[in-house]
Amino acid sequence: MRLSVGGYLGFYLPGFKRGLELELPQPTPLLEILANLGIPPAEVHLAVVNGQNEIPGEALISDSDEVKLFSAVDGG
Amino acid sequence: MFGTTAKILRVNLTTGSLEVEQLSAEFYRLYPGGKALAGYYLLNELPPHTEPFSPENLLVLANGLLTGAPVSTATRYVASARSPLTNGYGESEAGGFWGPELKMAGFEALLITGRAPQPVYLWIKDGAVEIRPAQHLWGRTTGEVQAAIREELGDDKIRVLQTGPAGENLVRYAGLTNDLRHFNGRNGLGAVMGSKNLRAVAVRGRQRYQSLAYDPESLQALGRKLAKNVRQQPQSWDLQQHGTLGLVESLNNAGILPTRNFRQGAFEQVDQVKWEAYEKELFTAQRSCYACAIRCKREVALDGKPSIYGGPEYETLDAFGPNCGVGDLQAIAKANEMCNAYMLDTISTGATISFAMECFEHGLIGLEDTGGVDLRFGNAEAMLAMIEQIAWRRGFGDLLAEGSLRAAQKIGGDAIYFAIHVKGQELAMHDPRGKYNVGMGYAISEIGADHLVVPHDPALANPDSIPFKNALPLGITVAQPPRSLSDEKMHHFYVLERWVSFEKVVGYCFFGPAPRSFIHPDDVILSVKSATGWDFSIEEALQIGERATNMARLFNLREGFSRQDDHLPERFYQGLENGALQGEGMPRAEFEHALTVLYGMKGWDPETSRPTRAKLTELSLEWAADLVDSLDQA
Repeated sequence: MRLSVGGYLGFYLPGFKRGLELELPQPTPLLEILANLGIPPAEVHLAVVNGQNEIPGEALISDSDEVKLFSAVDGG
Repeated sequence: MFGTTAKILRVNLTTGSLEVEQLSAEFYRLYPGGKALAGYYLLNELPPHTEPFSPENLLVLANGLLTGAPVSTATRYVASARSPLTNGYGESEAGGFWGPELKMAGFEALLITGRAPQPVYLWIKDGAVEIRPAQHLWGRTTGEVQAAIREELGDDKIRVLQTGPAGENLVRYAGLTNDLRHFNGRNGLGAVMGSKNLRAVAVRGRQRYQSLAYDPESLQALGRKLAKNVRQQPQSWDLQQHGTLGLVESLNNAGILPTRNFRQGAFEQVDQVKWEAYEKELFTAQRSCYACAIRCKREVALDGKPSIYGGPEYETLDAFGPNCGVGDLQAIAKANEMCNAYMLDTISTGATISFAMECFEHGLIGLEDTGGVDLRFGNAEAMLAMIEQIAWRRGFGDLLAEGSLRAAQKIGGDAIYFAIHVKGQELAMHDPRGKYNVGMGYAISEIGADHLVVPHDPALANPDSIPFKNALPLGITVAQPPRSLSDEKMHHFYVLERWVSFEKVVGYCFFGPAPRSFIHPDDVILSVKSATGWDFSIEEALQIGERATNMARLFNLREGFSRQDDHLPERFYQGLENGALQGEGMPRAEFEHALTVLYGMKGWDPETSRPTRAKLTELSLEWAADLVDSLDQA
């Protein structure tokens, strides 16, 4: 699966990356993926899976999915 | 008295008189700079119903208590006057270097009244003040004027605050800029400066903040700690890495990226204008304000050439991009550069053009009105042509220079529905249909639609998140979803509005203190203690913020404003046309109920929004209570 992150979530990825590719042998709960990557679920404000907004705690991710995660950020 | 020069400079441009006044310690503790000084002087020294462009209008430029301290994000000063855009209390903050330099030159605030017989600029150096001729600067771009003043005075480190041709031409949303990259954009305060025949205020000073501080070692240690924290805390790290541009994609996915005059919440060309495209096409470097380790400003190159005006931030990018239906980054950056050279507020300029585009699309105006400009959504060339016309008040731009509300009243028909404003000021680029407290901020703000009244709703939606945990010391205890108008949500608003108002008093940037960013409330309080020696608390900070907000409210009440002015544009009670929140609108009855609840928390009358005498007494504003009593006789 292809994961990209927005807002301050890149802070938690190694090398402050904006995204990465992961191999998922089987459908995996998004929360488990977050735990493996060290991204605190509480900081994920918005999860978009294949263009559809999903509730992070309920999303099940497959290897072919494209996932975008965003933190809560303000304007200014 | 520590932490401040406590000196203000009074300038009468009609007579040329200059007077220095020393503020007392007792006064300064109640009104420690910025928004508080502005509110105090506008209420006490500006006669009611003063015409904004008359010589009598009072232009206040006021530093915060901490402006210039060696602490990241403590850089801000406020510009204030009766606004020519809203006819109410006008206020706009900016960072950069001018405020700290003014403090180094010996002054906390300038009170400018009158009108010079000929164009002039002020020159302030280490406490000495001079009014100098500026006829040779009139009509020139901000970049040219800054270079000319520095050359004329022989010092390239002079900090120049100025308006531009738009201010000279009384465009009702002309702003101010310092160092060409930092802006008091909102409320038309540049036009007030222009109406006074004042083009610029140049300053140079050598006093260091540390010589004013009560405990300079403690302040220095805090500054060092915070500078180190910037890269170790996610929110400030994000601001350093992406500026505010990361918002584009996130808001688009949330369905609340203002698109085509707020009709839509998602933009089909978003990939062309999001941060990744910006980084590739425009971005060249980060840039900071005075002593700030975040460095959220973006430097850009247009057509391969470095811009002297900096790059567009999120608000500007959306105002000239998706909200005008434009997906051309070069055109957006060009619009930003033109606005900064002429000194137009990018938010109001972009929003007024998108208003005109919707009028054009609906046939309320045609080519015969626009001088042949095909003002349809997505036409970047037409957008740039309008900016030129607005700045110089030429052609159709002369009407748009009045702002969307006045233009709608002139155009007539349904045009008023397309004017997306509150109290006459155009909305910033955040759709309230996905962030209800942002909507409440737009409605209730004394300066008209303002997106920096409270941290935006998503920050406090999850009780385990960093922003929420950092809000606990302020008294926020229950997380609330972004699309809620519950009583608890209004409590969020009541607390956070006072906290942000306090930031605007003492000179902190919206991107400094928690919960929006990285400075824990305890460290904010420590910074005030170290600077002043005061026995200071969060409670006193919140009261300072509330006092400033109430003075602004009193100013508006005196000018005839009331509850009916605290409203949202009709569009937001209707559903969005596309995106993740398609079909969703703000619930009208709930919004009105929440406003009543909020008034109750603030100690304001539910019908009129007038503060009670008890509230004013609680805030040490007894002196203003008679003003409220006199409103019925007015």
